[in-house]
Amino acid sequence: MKTEQTLKLQAFLDGELSETEARDIAAWLARDADAKALHNELRHTRKALKDSEPRVTLPESREFYWSKIRRDIERSAPAPAKPAPASPLLWLRRLLLQTGPMTVLGVALLAGLIHFCWVDAKLGLATESTGAEAGTFTYHDDANGTTLVWVNFPAETEIAMNTTPW
Amino acid sequence: MIDLVHSSADDTELVRNAQAGDLGAFEELVARHRDKIFGRALSMMRNEQEALDLSQEAWVKAWQRLNQFQGDSSFTTWLTRIVINLCLDQLRKQKRRQTESIEAMEEESGGVERQMPVVAANPTERLERGELRRRIDRALDQLSHEHRTVLILHEFEEMEYKTIATTVGCSIGTVMSRLFYARRKLAALLADLKTDH
Repeated sequence: MKTEQTLKLQAFLDGELSETEARDIAAWLARDADAKALHNELRHTRKALKDSEPRVTLPESREFYWSKIRRDIERSAPAPAKPAPASPLLWLRRLLLQTGPMTVLGVALLAGLIHFCWVDAKLGLATESTGAEAGTFTYHDDANGTTLVWVNFPAETEIAMNTTPW
Repeated sequence: MIDLVHSSADDTELVRNAQAGDLGAFEELVARHRDKIFGRALSMMRNEQEALDLSQEAWVKAWQRLNQFQGDSSFTTWLTRIVINLCLDQLRKQKRRQTESIEAMEEESGGVERQMPVVAANPTERLERGELRRRIDRALDQLSHEHRTVLILHEFEEMEYKTIATTVGCSIGTVMSRLFYARRKLAALLADLKTDH
């Protein structure tokens, strides 16, 4: 018997052959006594194992066996890695990783702006701002409670518009 | 002390609770399935201390990976796969440290099994179940770990050739050849044991 044939015989026993191959092996078994004998031996061994896996009982008590597992669990990971709700810090970290240096720059500028406004208000320093309309300028001093508004007349934009080019 | 709340729950409920961080539920799962997991490790390693260590390691790994368990198979099937993989890793490490025996090399190359005479009578016929288990255990002890592993995965874990090949990391042809050798050798060993008695 060739190796390939014997392995096919075994695969036939284990139900691992295609329908056509299984038919061929069944026909071979019907006419070859040696193949039939080998098939029977394999079948007996398979059946003996299937029904009789050796049974074992743990030689340690439940408490003793568990205590080592518990100790290792507590040492390595206190709880299963179930996805936990993301903390604000984790969220910020993820955002920074995704959007890169632009976010870092934006956050830094925003923080700086907030800081300067806060310091100004605290020290009672004057603030300046340009008006919504072109040509106005506002000066506010918290300490003295005064506000000055400059209005350019005529407005600089009007001058520019009325100037005839050379 | 027996925890009545957990001991009355089924595996699915215990796994769900353990996934939420309930260590008591996990302890109950360990109590229920420890013999089976230890037994699988022992059948593969043939060494009680190693089997104890690896089975405990499997439980720790199971706790750490509990969120990966989706319930596609039973919890015990999932856990058995973990312990099998740990045993295979350990056996590979041991094999690297050892020089292969000539016999093992012959077994790997094939051909030995074909020279064995066919055992005509069923050597396990009319044997009492306990006695049959003991004989099978002794016969398994005499196989190389490669042959024993394939036999265990096929007969006890009911894996198909393809799954065994993936688990063990070899070709389907190697699985078939190892399984064939293991069965033939086991038949001969069981026949010898019958004659001895």
